[in-house]
Amino acid sequence: MSEASTRVVSFEPVPGQSHPSNRSPGGRVLDLMIESRPVLLGVMILVLGTYMAVVHGTRFINEANLASVLLDAAQAGILTIGMTILMIGGAIDLSIGAVLSLAGIVAGIMVKEYQIDVATAMLAGLAVGAVCGVVNGLIVTRLHINALIATLATMGIYRGVAQIISGTGETTIGHGFSWLGQSDFLAIQYPFWIMFGLVLLFTFLTSRSRFFRQFYFIGGNERAARLSGIRSDRVIFAGFVLVCTLAALAGLLTASRLDSAIISAGTGVELKVITAAVLGGAALKGGSGSIPGAFLGVIFIAMLQNALIISRVPVFYQQIVVGLVLIAAVSTEFLQSRRGR
Amino acid sequence: MSAPAAEQSHAPRLRVTGIDKRFPGVHALKGVDLEVMPGEIHALVGENGAGKSTLMNIIAGVLRPDEGTILLDGEAVDILDERTATTLGIGMVHQEQALVPRLSVAENIFGGHPPVDRLRVIDRSTMLRESKALLVRLQSTIDPRRRVESLSPAQRQTVEIAKALAQPLRLLILDEPTAALTLTETRHLFQVTRQLADEGVAILFVSHRLVEVFQIASRVTVLKDGALTGVRATAAITTDDLIQLMVGRELSFDRDRRRVPPDAPVALEVRDLVAPPIEHVSLSVRRGEIVCLAGLVGAGRTELVEAIFGDRRVESGRILIDGQPVQHRSPRDAVASGIAMVPEERKESGLFLDMSVEQNMAAANLDLLSTHGLVSRERLARLADSFIKSLRIATPDRRRKIVYLSGGNQQKALLARWLMREPPILIVDEPTRGVDVGAKAEIYRILRGLAEQGTALLVVSSDLLEVLSIAHRIVVLSEGTVAGSLDAADADETTILRLAAPRSLETQGVAA
Repeated sequence: MSEASTRVVSFEPVPGQSHPSNRSPGGRVLDLMIESRPVLLGVMILVLGTYMAVVHGTRFINEANLASVLLDAAQAGILTIGMTILMIGGAIDLSIGAVLSLAGIVAGIMVKEYQIDVATAMLAGLAVGAVCGVVNGLIVTRLHINALIATLATMGIYRGVAQIISGTGETTIGHGFSWLGQSDFLAIQYPFWIMFGLVLLFTFLTSRSRFFRQFYFIGGNERAARLSGIRSDRVIFAGFVLVCTLAALAGLLTASRLDSAIISAGTGVELKVITAAVLGGAALKGGSGSIPGAFLGVIFIAMLQNALIISRVPVFYQQIVVGLVLIAAVSTEFLQSRRGR
Repeated sequence: MSAPAAEQSHAPRLRVTGIDKRFPGVHALKGVDLEVMPGEIHALVGENGAGKSTLMNIIAGVLRPDEGTILLDGEAVDILDERTATTLGIGMVHQEQALVPRLSVAENIFGGHPPVDRLRVIDRSTMLRESKALLVRLQSTIDPRRRVESLSPAQRQTVEIAKALAQPLRLLILDEPTAALTLTETRHLFQVTRQLADEGVAILFVSHRLVEVFQIASRVTVLKDGALTGVRATAAITTDDLIQLMVGRELSFDRDRRRVPPDAPVALEVRDLVAPPIEHVSLSVRRGEIVCLAGLVGAGRTELVEAIFGDRRVESGRILIDGQPVQHRSPRDAVASGIAMVPEERKESGLFLDMSVEQNMAAANLDLLSTHGLVSRERLARLADSFIKSLRIATPDRRRKIVYLSGGNQQKALLARWLMREPPILIVDEPTRGVDVGAKAEIYRILRGLAEQGTALLVVSSDLLEVLSIAHRIVVLSEGTVAGSLDAADADETTILRLAAPRSLETQGVAA
């Protein structure tokens, strides 16, 4: 008999695995933070905000800077709403950055080169986004191609189309194109308020509406959802149309704010958006996620980037930080599932 | 037989004493003892949640106990992990099989320790030869070069046993080994199990099928709610005694003698349906009638109900509901025409494991629960609570994640999902698979109650006792066609089995 097998057994309860109810108050706060993403994110935002306020004072706490944090959050926020809904349904869309750029360019060209009125041009931009969503949705639900691969491909295609029709893009569009992106209300620009309104709307819809509840079932167990009479293909298809239309809206707002539609708009935004969605509780395997969580995730990332800028961290490091945050967020998903056992 | 049998008398092969294990919120094992002699086939039974799996997993090194001792051939052992268990000669054949599908049989059998030559290169010929020898010992003709993914469930199980035998084996744990097997395969498994026992291996046999416990085991240990309720010699007790030890109350599986009025209208009719592997099947179910689809695994029963439910393409033939022809292109169409189906694979096709009990019930009922496109939480809460009560679903509350419920309660929740719709036609595929005895009786009560209220029920079941106890009529499928239809009053196990046997196999039997 080997040495290992003859050792006498004595099993002591492992301290770390004690019953949850006899945890210290601190432990319970920790539990709550791990259980509820919005609470955790709220705490993170508070900690980061306090740190910045103490260390950098008015360089951080001033109207212009805070308004710019929120404005930064507008684009990512609108994109994250759509992405979160799609991820709840177990799908993903990587083409949103390209759709964002394409929609802005189409509207920009219509206004600048063809003097079409701004409202019509913006509607056309939204329509372009919807069409991109239809294409993504058809590829995924009809050709049964994995969403990650399908939208990786269309990401290249849409950006290519944008480049063909505009070269590098349109600058100084004029004709009142910038009104929507540059006007403000309560010292914060419209894009933020539009994003905030959409957050409230989709928070309500994802928790209450019959249509949007279906995403949770599909992401939770696609086959079980289908056998429960849910038309998962149609729902996921609609999800792609929604996410791309929202991406187009984000693109129009971005172009309007800059009065320019440029080809590089939205490059790499997927990283930020997926990170925010995952931070907010969306699981990569589908079935979970929340719009309020995703919203706080977006705010946290916007604030983190602002903090890095104020702390004079070179811009390339920001991407590294966001990447690390994504890995940290995904690993908490794993830890959470282990705790749940 | 010879030398090992002589040793049998003195020391137990496995002696487990005072095993205690807690999980957050659950006291899974409360000071449990278990003893298995060399050469003994010892059954371990208990309802779902009784602690069988936890105990097995502790013995196999998957989990570690909080307290207690494990003696193997009289020596105290500390089973740190699965690897240690293997080195000690403890093998386990898992319910969810633990083989690598893309690798060959031989590679799976030798796992992480293939035979190597002097240069530490894998010695393929030795590996194949030894695999072959192990398989022959198990009376199997599987080619060790085949990939595991190409094997049937029974063949995979044989490979798992061979894998356990690749080490000097002292104790073999079989966890629900017959769940995926046909009757012939089960018989073969039992033969092999007895042979291993004769060679001196101690066998721990875990099964829900009490009939099998009596067939194969000499002694049985019963657990209930994590505690030991008895150790008995199978020769000295009856099934009823055993059930009573398991559930602590008396249960009966009497046949339902009530007849369906012969003039009850036909609710569901299938005419000449072709949906490969289904070939020209016709059958009908009247209101208030329970029709059971019996047959062997692979006879096409699940495929038939899938076709009726719109989950499998129908090539030709008709489906009529209340005499009207319908076409189901998706399950949604079937639901719209009043059919509900509880599928066979509960986890894969039925449950939303990460969701609450009430959300699981809501899945098929978003339309009923909504006004102007908004889901009413109050209505859902009210309905969920009333079903939890009426179906006696054991859950702390409706918000509990369904994954924490026992198999029987999960199944009841799935029934509730469909009963909310009050469907005129209900299909249930294997209503009590992986469900404990107590919940079984309750599910039968529910199904009978539905029939009394006029629901037409089509039930797929591999459990003959179940078929005989709930069916009004039994339709036996074999190789995708109807082999016979019996009135439950005239049916018995032999008749059903004779009808179920595939023609090809029967001729083989005659030839041999």
